[in-house]
Amino acid sequence: MAIDARAPGLTRRAVDEVADAGQEPDWLRAHRRAAWDVYEATPNPERTDEEWRRTDLRWLRWESLTPASPLDSLDRVPSTAPAAALSPSVTMLISAGGARVIDISPEARAAGVVALDLAEAARTQPALVRERLSTTAVTPEQGKFQALNAALWQGGALVHVPRGAVLAQPILVVTCDDAALRQPHLLASLGAGAQAAIVEWWADAETDAPALVNGATELFADSGSHLTYTHVQGLSSGTRSILSQRALVRRDATFTSTNVTVGGRFHKARVEASLTEPGASAVMNGAFRLGSRQFVDHHTTQGHLATDGTSDLLFAGVLDGRARSVYAGTIVVDPKAQRTNAYQNNRNLLLNSGTRADSIPRLEIMADDVRCTHGATTSTLEPSHLYYLCSRGLSESQARELIVEGYFEAVLDRVPHEGVRDVLRGVLTAPASTRDGATGI
Amino acid sequence: MHNGSGADALVIQDLHVSVDGMPILKGIDLHVPKGEVHALMGPNGSGKSTLANTLMGHPAFEVTGGSVTFKGQDILELATDERARLGMFMAFQYPSEITGVRVSNFLRMALNAQREEEISAMEFRRLMMEKMRLLRMDMKFASRYLNEGFSGGEKKRNEILQMAVLQPELAILDETDSGLDIDALRIVADGVNTLRGADMATLVITHYQRLLNYIVPDVVHVLIDGRIARTGDKQLALELDESGYEAMTAAQEA
Ligand SMILES: Nc1ncnc2c1ncn2[C@@H]1O[C@H](COP(=O)(O)OP(=O)(O)OP(=O)(O)O)[C@@H](O)[C@H]1O
Ligand SMILES: [Mg+2]
Repeated sequence: MAIDARAPGLTRRAVDEVADAGQEPDWLRAHRRAAWDVYEATPNPERTDEEWRRTDLRWLRWESLTPASPLDSLDRVPSTAPAAALSPSVTMLISAGGARVIDISPEARAAGVVALDLAEAARTQPALVRERLSTTAVTPEQGKFQALNAALWQGGALVHVPRGAVLAQPILVVTCDDAALRQPHLLASLGAGAQAAIVEWWADAETDAPALVNGATELFADSGSHLTYTHVQGLSSGTRSILSQRALVRRDATFTSTNVTVGGRFHKARVEASLTEPGASAVMNGAFRLGSRQFVDHHTTQGHLATDGTSDLLFAGVLDGRARSVYAGTIVVDPKAQRTNAYQNNRNLLLNSGTRADSIPRLEIMADDVRCTHGATTSTLEPSHLYYLCSRGLSESQARELIVEGYFEAVLDRVPHEGVRDVLRGVLTAPASTRDGATGI
Repeated sequence: MHNGSGADALVIQDLHVSVDGMPILKGIDLHVPKGEVHALMGPNGSGKSTLANTLMGHPAFEVTGGSVTFKGQDILELATDERARLGMFMAFQYPSEITGVRVSNFLRMALNAQREEEISAMEFRRLMMEKMRLLRMDMKFASRYLNEGFSGGEKKRNEILQMAVLQPELAILDETDSGLDIDALRIVADGVNTLRGADMATLVITHYQRLLNYIVPDVVHVLIDGRIARTGDKQLALELDESGYEAMTAAQEA
């Protein structure tokens, strides 16, 4: 029995208020209202649902959730986001009040890159938004949180790299706010043959007040494009987050995603790539480094919907303190998707006996001419490795850190953009004391 | 007979060591002065690696009696990394493969651990290039993951590269010669001989007299069943090559 999720804060009226505030066109308002109906009709997730079996949502008080007041929003890039190190071609900042372009390079301007607040884009560039926003990649029908985001997202961004454009420097989209409920929405698309890297960074304003982020990211890689997408969850230790991320990858396009999770106390992510046309390929990378009582749940889906697709997934986690992780990876091969190659691998390194990592692979293969493998390993620190490194003069903590850093190299090696790779290495290797979420308890 | 400077670097007295309560070393006495090379030979399982690892502070080996000093300092209370920073080094019989850890990054960290002031990136690069050239190692090894996918001989060369970069005052080479081709053997021996000239004390564990043609030992010890059964000069190694340990064990028991 689902409890009634309706609450004073989250109401149909709130949906209209958000639409009003953004001066959104009627079609978008209708869109939000339809999503709200789905939200209301969808029961709350329960432990009995397979997806939530290992993931405790009892902390969630639906009745206390309330949309952010745009006055809460900030106007500066937080110091934790590496705007300088990445030297981005575009820097955007999302908060409940909307998305703003902080900086755009002449290169990006000349290439015709579109970077806009999503509500504004709905008004001025409906062709890029209307067909795609919450309609095909992340939809209300996919679940309670997805429906909630579609109905009540606040602070959305549209990024579009036009057909044939090639951007050397990444596009950085930073979400940062101090509101108790944040629902960012990123819609990003690459036109045919375009090539770009997009880095989405979730940060907190400097506060440790409990907050919930329920974000959605919809990615579209048109035929022959090369999209490198990176998500960094660098929230502070009081924040919980839910991420719904899905890419639709068309003919002969290549998509590389890297999800790096180091912050927050609870993070539940759906990470999906669907190869919708022949010859598409996806490399899906994940790295998470957890401490104290952090909890992370990644559900990944490699969706093969057409012939000759390749997907290759590697998620690696390092857990310390009393951290827990769940990894559930599904490979779906549609009956049409002959000549599919799909690989899935999840590795976990447990630094402490108080940690636990669950790994659940699932194959749904409905075609016969398919190559599909999956593997999962969970290991602990090898004492002989520590001894070897210490015998050269490294302290035990230096040796541990070196081994942990090394553990992520297999993932980082698969990140095609060198600048992004270096920044991610920094995120994953920063000393625990300076990492939000790894401190305390 | 001993031609070193005379000052003892390593002094082992009546050392007893157990693993899981089982005695392995049963009273070892050994003095290795600065600048000298001592060879340690003996049958499989006699305790050579146990001695080497006890000296480096491996946690599995429990010292149940005796003492070990290095440069006059009691080292048995020191952690492995503290011993290393005091100038001790062991080339492993079976070096670990550690993924994701690049040889050069690791070595730079190790070098910095024992220096007052951090070595600059440029200076370190120069040092690596010099030592790798000396050991005829391809520069690509510097950016490879530590021993991962290295051949047996490459691993041993990599051990000696670490020795050459860290320039210890005591080197313990645990069967560094096994798995090395003749050319590599010479190169490794050159490496040791160079440092020996700079007063490094060396304990060479080996099964083969061949290495001792290149690293000529000042003293040869034979370890049998956890005890030093015989000590002699380089002739002893030749003798062993001829007659094996069997004869010696018999003679000892007689
Ligand atoms: N960790 C351990 N646990 C149990 N037994 C051990 C352990 N380490 C060493 N031993 C035992 O101690 C004895 C000495 O082993 P050690 O490795 O020191 O021999 P060694 O002289 O180096 O032999 P080799 O020439 O084969 O390298 C052997 O019987 C070995 O099985
Ligand atoms: Mg041995």
